[in-house]
Amino acid sequence: MDERLLVEQLKGGDEAAFKTIVETWQSMVYNTALGIVQNAEDAEDIAQETFVQVYQSVSSFKGESKFSTWLYRITIAKALDHERRKKRKKRFAFVKSLFGEESEVVVHPPDFHHPGVILDKKENAAELFAAIAGLPENQRIAFTLHKVDGLSYQEVSEVMETSVSSVESLMHRAKTNLRKKLEDYYKDMK
Amino acid sequence: MRPEINKKIEETLNSLDGIRRAEPRPFFYTRLMGRLQRNEKTIWETMGSFMAKPVVVIASLCFILVFNAFMLLRQDATNSIQTQASNEQLATDNEYLLATNSSFDFENLDPQ
Repeated sequence: MDERLLVEQLKGGDEAAFKTIVETWQSMVYNTALGIVQNAEDAEDIAQETFVQVYQSVSSFKGESKFSTWLYRITIAKALDHERRKKRKKRFAFVKSLFGEESEVVVHPPDFHHPGVILDKKENAAELFAAIAGLPENQRIAFTLHKVDGLSYQEVSEVMETSVSSVESLMHRAKTNLRKKLEDYYKDMK
Repeated sequence: MRPEINKKIEETLNSLDGIRRAEPRPFFYTRLMGRLQRNEKTIWETMGSFMAKPVVVIASLCFILVFNAFMLLRQDATNSIQTQASNEQLATDNEYLLATNSSFDFENLDPQ
């Protein structure tokens, strides 16, 4: 169905249009969130939050960009928010533990296995995802959108509201940093 | 860098090639609708959250202060008018009160 028509129907409060929107874009939103937060439960939570926001603020969508671009932006913002909240909680738990108060034990998350990765590449992909998690925010978003979501540089630049050359630069720096991290990792393993 | 490490890095960097899109668990829409309904606020919650907004609180406070000041000033003005009116009334009353001694009464103490 036409994207614009669906959005107009949703603006008019049409629940069937909302259902079509969710069913059309749920895997895209979920996959993007999963690539960023690297946790299935958190990704589902973020995907739900994204669609709740779409339902509540669709009137603010003016149609200046593609609907999917708008969805990507909301998903990324929600995922980054989620990560910041998690980091704050961890920091707070650490401070509490310094004062001897009881708090949740901070455990390092296990290796993340993306369900879409080909079986014989799973081990390498888990190592790559661990390295991606350590990249600066912008590089991580550009790399994930391009490599995990399969967006072209042009599409990534639209989502990130930047130029194609900036995306190229972000990708170059991301690859360089990943190489360094992986090199250190494999040297330590030897 | 040793060639085997270099090879391993290249393999790892290319491990996401051909990745398929991950799907959420089944009945995502049902769970989403459940969440939306939980998020829906009652009229009292909506009113409460509106009243709790700092802008609304400050505006209400300003209105109450201005209204109080206005009422106070208005009351003062009414009081002073009332006092003036009562003095005039008293003077008029004195003039017509027969039981009161006037200067004529004092000057003619004995009419005979």
